[in-house]
Amino acid sequence: MSKRIPTYNIERKKARWGWIFVAPTLIFFSLFSFYPIFNALYTSLFKKKLLSLKPPDFIGLSNYIYLLKSPDFWNSMRATVVFTLGTFVPLLIFSLIFAIFIMSRKRFQNFFQIAYYSPAVLSSVVAAVIWLIIFDPRGLGNQWLNLIMNTPGIDHKWLANSVMVQMSTMLVYFWKYVGYFTIIFIVGLASIPHSIYEAAKIDGANDWKNFWYITLPLLKPTTILVSIISMLQCLRTFSTQYLFTQGGAPLAPINVITLNIYYTAIRDHRIGRASAMSIILFVIMLLFTWVQFKSSRADEISY
Amino acid sequence: MSYILQGKKNEINRQSLIIDIFIWAFLILAALFILAPTIFMFTASLMPANDILKMPYRWIPKGLYLQNYWQGIRGNDGSFIYIRNILNSLIVASAVAATTVIFSALAGFGLAKYYFKGRTLVFMLIMATMMIPFEAIMIPLYLVTTKLGIQDSYAGLIAPFLVNAFGVFLMRQYFITFPDEILDAARIDGASELMIFRTIILPNSIPAMATLAILTFKAQWDNLLWPLLVVQSEEMKTIPLYIVKFMAEKHTDEGAMMAVAAIASIPILIVFFKLSKYFLGGAALYSSRKG
Repeated sequence: MSKRIPTYNIERKKARWGWIFVAPTLIFFSLFSFYPIFNALYTSLFKKKLLSLKPPDFIGLSNYIYLLKSPDFWNSMRATVVFTLGTFVPLLIFSLIFAIFIMSRKRFQNFFQIAYYSPAVLSSVVAAVIWLIIFDPRGLGNQWLNLIMNTPGIDHKWLANSVMVQMSTMLVYFWKYVGYFTIIFIVGLASIPHSIYEAAKIDGANDWKNFWYITLPLLKPTTILVSIISMLQCLRTFSTQYLFTQGGAPLAPINVITLNIYYTAIRDHRIGRASAMSIILFVIMLLFTWVQFKSSRADEISY
Repeated sequence: MSYILQGKKNEINRQSLIIDIFIWAFLILAALFILAPTIFMFTASLMPANDILKMPYRWIPKGLYLQNYWQGIRGNDGSFIYIRNILNSLIVASAVAATTVIFSALAGFGLAKYYFKGRTLVFMLIMATMMIPFEAIMIPLYLVTTKLGIQDSYAGLIAPFLVNAFGVFLMRQYFITFPDEILDAARIDGASELMIFRTIILPNSIPAMATLAILTFKAQWDNLLWPLLVVQSEEMKTIPLYIVKFMAEKHTDEGAMMAVAAIASIPILIVFFKLSKYFLGGAALYSSRKG
């Protein structure tokens, strides 16, 4: 048998090796991704306390109903949405501008890329503690803002005022990640063939027209990608807000959803309710990812 | 006629010169803004606390006030636990980087070069895990680690991050373009599949693996949420947890705080400046998420 159709056996052997190579990863994901997400879904239907030995009570959708009626939960949703929108819009605009400006330079391209990217290398805890000191009433934050706005001696309450503390977390996040997205845009820009610009030059287009009619439309896939990645990242923000509240900032304005999950589970020991919140976060992110897939399919560009 | 043209040309030249200066100024100012906090950290770490919060801030320290570093390393209680915590971070981040690279390479190779039933489904399943945010599964994971009794240990810190979907995707993309003929030639020469992986695939994928290793190492070096959940003892803390704890202590002043932050940043910054092309390449990889 094996002598007559040797290819058949080789193919089968190869198929087996394919499974062997994939198996460790597949087992890992079953244990550490799929099981936990189903477990979270299951737990969200129970009234379950951390460290409690008595069996959890099945309460159906009560956790979800409780959350939807809870002002604390809606405050977290508000904080998360405000942070996400307030961070990703400036991130998108500035990283695009930085990328275009850097690419328009003939020298120091590398220097600017490394300089802009460098904060992304620092850990987010380090970033938060640096900015905590900058935002001190006597710190650099007030000195800079007073210099720019010509308002000597005013304390802008970076960490105390509920609006300012939200702006502060956005600023930290913007500072840390703008370089990262600049690099992604630079790659997108570099992939636009030079010949298109040459053709446009022959047709008499200037820099501004080039940007408006060539660069921007062809960058659409990169723009969508950057906005989705940055939005998903912003929705998951945790470290900055956690460190700021540890450093004495008020919790309510920056009590983003991940922080709320953490406190509900670890401080209040309400595992069921925290799981329900996790599932809501998961569903929101799923929607975003679905949008990403849809839009990236529709915008496939070939030169 | 030519005089008019000449004038127009000059005007265009002047205009583009102004734009040119504007762009340079913009880029340099932005660079100053972005670099300032990092520079602030290093200069402030060399000053006594009174000088840090002086208005206006003096960017050049008067002398080298190294007590901050001593206090940071020694800790407020004199236990030198920070050294152990740095070691923990190194161990966890290196272990995670190593397992991620190995498992991603194996799975990526299997998915790219072997045709088996259900291959597409397996790939889709692995990619689907990208959509599950860690924040949504951290509580079940925490309960599992407690049940297994591996909380507050290296195993507990490492286990949830052994491999990730992005790594598998990355390695698969890399291997897909690898010529089949070379693999077949090795098979005809009698090489086993494992030998092919070890002697042909691995040595030829160093750049991709280095990028993946660096990205993973960095992500773990940065990880706060998971250690916050699973670690209880001082001995098992990682750098981010030490910083959080150190910040809350009574005797910690701004100078010592910045010294601790600087110590945490120096290794990763050195790696970054040495291997910046892998970091930048890693960010760029995200944008090639096609196919």
